[in-house]
Amino acid sequence: MSGTITITFEGEPVEAREGESLAAALTAHGIDAFRTTRCEAERGLFCGMGVCQDCLVEVDGKPNQRACMTRVDRPLSVRREAHARPLAPAMQGQPPATIGDVEVQMPEILVIGAGPGGLSAAIAARRAGAQVLVVDERSQPGGQYFKQLSVGAEAGPPPDRQHREGAALIEEARSLGVELRSGVTVWGAFEPNEFAATAAGRPLRLLPKAAIVATGAYERGWPVPGWTLPGVMTTGAAQTLWRTARRLPGRRVLIAGNGPLNLQLAAELIEGGAEVPAVVEAAPRPGLARLGALLAMARSSPRLIRDGLRYHAARRSGGAAMVHGMVVAGIEKTPAGLQVRLAPAAGTGAERRYEVDAVCLGYGFEPSNELLRALGCGHDFDPVRRQLVTRRDARGLTDMAGVYALGDCTGLGGARAALAEGTIVGLAAAAALGHAAPAGSRAASRRAGRDLARHRDFQKALWSLYAAPAYSSKLATADTLICRCEEVSFGQIEEALGEEMELIGAVKRRTRVGMGRCQGRYCAPVLDALLAERFGRPRDEFSGFAPRIPVKPVAIGDLAGPGAG
Amino acid sequence: MASPHPVVGEIEVLVIGGGVVGSCLAGFLAEDGVGVALIDDGRIGGSNANAGSLHVQMQSRFMRLYPQNVPGMERQLPLYPKGVAAWQALEKKLDAHFDLKMTGGLMVAESLDQLEFLRVKAARERELGLEVEVLGRAELDRIAPYFGESVVGAELCADEGKLNPLLCNAAIRRWILARGVVLIEGEAAGPIRREGAGFVVETKRGPIRAGRVVLAAASGSKALAAGLGVAIPAEPEPLHMNITEPTSAMIGHLVQHADRMITLKQFGTGQIVIGGGWPAHLAGERRHPTVELASLIANATLAQHIVPRIAPLRIIRTWAGINTAVDGKGVLGPVGPVPGLFAAIPGDAGYTLGPLSARLVAEMMAGRAPGEDMAPFSPDRFG
Ligand SMILES: Cc1cc2nc3c(=O)[nH]c(=O)nc-3n(C[C@H](O)[C@H](O)[C@H](O)COP(=O)(O)OP(=O)(O)OC[C@H]3O[C@@H](n4cnc5c(N)ncnc54)[C@H](O)[C@@H]3O)c2cc1C
Ligand code: FES
Repeated sequence: MSGTITITFEGEPVEAREGESLAAALTAHGIDAFRTTRCEAERGLFCGMGVCQDCLVEVDGKPNQRACMTRVDRPLSVRREAHARPLAPAMQGQPPATIGDVEVQMPEILVIGAGPGGLSAAIAARRAGAQVLVVDERSQPGGQYFKQLSVGAEAGPPPDRQHREGAALIEEARSLGVELRSGVTVWGAFEPNEFAATAAGRPLRLLPKAAIVATGAYERGWPVPGWTLPGVMTTGAAQTLWRTARRLPGRRVLIAGNGPLNLQLAAELIEGGAEVPAVVEAAPRPGLARLGALLAMARSSPRLIRDGLRYHAARRSGGAAMVHGMVVAGIEKTPAGLQVRLAPAAGTGAERRYEVDAVCLGYGFEPSNELLRALGCGHDFDPVRRQLVTRRDARGLTDMAGVYALGDCTGLGGARAALAEGTIVGLAAAAALGHAAPAGSRAASRRAGRDLARHRDFQKALWSLYAAPAYSSKLATADTLICRCEEVSFGQIEEALGEEMELIGAVKRRTRVGMGRCQGRYCAPVLDALLAERFGRPRDEFSGFAPRIPVKPVAIGDLAGPGAG
Repeated sequence: MASPHPVVGEIEVLVIGGGVVGSCLAGFLAEDGVGVALIDDGRIGGSNANAGSLHVQMQSRFMRLYPQNVPGMERQLPLYPKGVAAWQALEKKLDAHFDLKMTGGLMVAESLDQLEFLRVKAARERELGLEVEVLGRAELDRIAPYFGESVVGAELCADEGKLNPLLCNAAIRRWILARGVVLIEGEAAGPIRREGAGFVVETKRGPIRAGRVVLAAASGSKALAAGLGVAIPAEPEPLHMNITEPTSAMIGHLVQHADRMITLKQFGTGQIVIGGGWPAHLAGERRHPTVELASLIANATLAQHIVPRIAPLRIIRTWAGINTAVDGKGVLGPVGPVPGLFAAIPGDAGYTLGPLSARLVAEMMAGRAPGEDMAPFSPDRFG
């Protein structure tokens, strides 16, 4: 799959690597503004995983395509997306479709999400004899942690251990006879256990006997002045550029956030030749008092601790400073690139500034629980991690019959925990459908249980080590955008709250916050926290925006596409 | 006895239901100098879910679904142009921007039979005083060059239009707050019982004593009325809506179909709103209005069949809201057997009729002549 393909962007030729994402190809050529908004602001790659909808471009005349999810496999003709561009005239629409026209697939077990959790569950269930279909929106299985290289080997360093481990898992699933379908976007969930998807421009209905939802997480927003500028992206987006396409987000890159993923990214970008002036961590520098946490982590997962030390060594040798206890407080566009302003995470103190081409923000995760919530699965608000946690039993069964959930979408746990959970949930789902436990499955389940307990301990210690103050709206100015999609500012929200609007739905209808393409993924947690703070409303499973279908936008033409055949 | 409601222990008038009718009514009463509280449970009623179509011509959907209601619809027909005028007056009065556009409505036909149905319908509507005409394809193309090949003609009703309910509801809310209406949001009201010359309305946070009570709770009014021994057959009808991402201005009219369920129009935001009465359902213990896949597919694909160029647009959100169906006509005015109790439930296309319905009831409550024969809309007709 090597080779280059010449695509055009606004009529200019751009050399792309076959298999990479359109976003990767454009970024590598210094193009970071992909679209303009209603307010004529420029936007570009932000989440890198298909949820923020900020990377929209027009591809071969088709409007509103996500550059981060579009694979370069032919000479594409690409234009910047403008707000509300006219549609090309067409005389003949497809005949109206009914639900009866839509292709149906009825796997015994449907796994949504081909990350570590989904793959591991699929393998366990398949080993027990169940028929398993795994679907995922990305062009390749592996999810966020086990993303595979999508370009030829000559593009950069060979696959590392993490790539190889993922490849082995994918291969194991395939060889056992798990059906893996990539490029399938599940955008709807309906009671009982009915899912709607599109694949290659056609609608698809999935009616499994049991479903395992393993849709992962996405990165939390960090609404400070300038966070919507092109060149500002999530840590995950930058990592996807490097780990799948061997592309860098910029020449000089500042990495800021909270948690160990930022360090790994620093090591990777330095390996790729980027200059990383600093890694900025919101948590304070760990003192001796935190030694206990470190020891606990070393006991429960020595390998992850070794990885951590390796990343630190790479960071140091690459000349990147480690800055503790500070957060990104604002980003400005300058003729030379982006100027980032750092402020102390807690209270007052001196600010610092950096001039870079790209900024990576990694301030923790939000679970991608939209499908679970649309189905009506119960959730509880976890005040420590400040997110919803899916209600489920020890085997991953939610409070809806036949619906299991695992991994990051249920509340963050990391790849290792998801792998262990997958085994337990996959076996449980197969057993519930009457498949006899295969030889050795009890031992496997026990082992997974022990692994899971260890990784949970690890995570707990990790988060005590990385404990940092939550995002505070003090970081926002009146014109800082809280809702990226509808361009709703903090000031407009303040105004609505001043009109005694306490219900989040009322604020939404009043200001349009959360009404855009991303379905409120970035603004809802911020607004929810704000309402809790202001009116003392408890945060619970009903406090965010009500879940809405489609959880990802779906083209009308893709619904009308002929189903069967 | 429980301690009284912390916000309003006692009030002259309690309006139950904070949709467009209840809100406007509270505003009109407050302007009359009456002390008003408005209580709403925060469910997604029609006012928060509707598509902002200003309907005037008879909707083929209702004619097909409820042929027994056609006489009632015809009786109510003259109210619609007045309902639209009431919206225009309100926009002016509040000095607000409703994105209200009177661009006319088109009901399209895809066969000669359907065109004939429209001709008969238009003739009857003209008798009843509406300005409507039936256009062939060539005339249609001159004013609406975006239809697909299969469309053969359409009925044009110049008095139809659209507005953006989000803008309207926000402006109405600001207005009534400024007029001193006490808003109690996110709280259910009921049951109601008589006490002396007034009423006691139970809520979770304590009872509210009110001199007079208005049932403006749409389908929620049925249970409240039943508690007082009164029959108001207002039934919930959960309906499905879709909205796309924005595109440049292209569809000026409110578009409907002679034989299929659809409404389609474009907001000032550039987004296309697609609805037309496709069913949703009430799910779970909370009876939350919830969309159905079958409605989404059929509704959206029908839209691209009629206006093919919208096919590449993506639907970014669907939702369901609770509409209320009675007998085609509004339920407006005093409830005879229970002095002090009033009903304010609009007829079909109730958002269009919202401010007008509120004004008519407000006039009756103030003892003024509403300037309209209210007998056909009396709450006492269900006996
Ligand atoms: C999806 C949809 C699309 C529509 N499209 C259009 C359109 O384009 N044009 C048009 O003219 N009409 C349209 N309609 C109809 C129109 O929206 C309704 O007729 C209108 O909103 C009715 O207004 P209302 O104030 O009577 O009731 P609602 O707007 O339904 O308000 C009633 C309120 O009362 C509350 N309530 C109920 N019981 C209680 C209780 N016991 N205690 C406290 N609160 C209570 C409810 O939660 C609700 O907030 C549509 C309706 C729907 C559902
Ligand atoms: S960057 Fe493509 S959707 Fe977020």
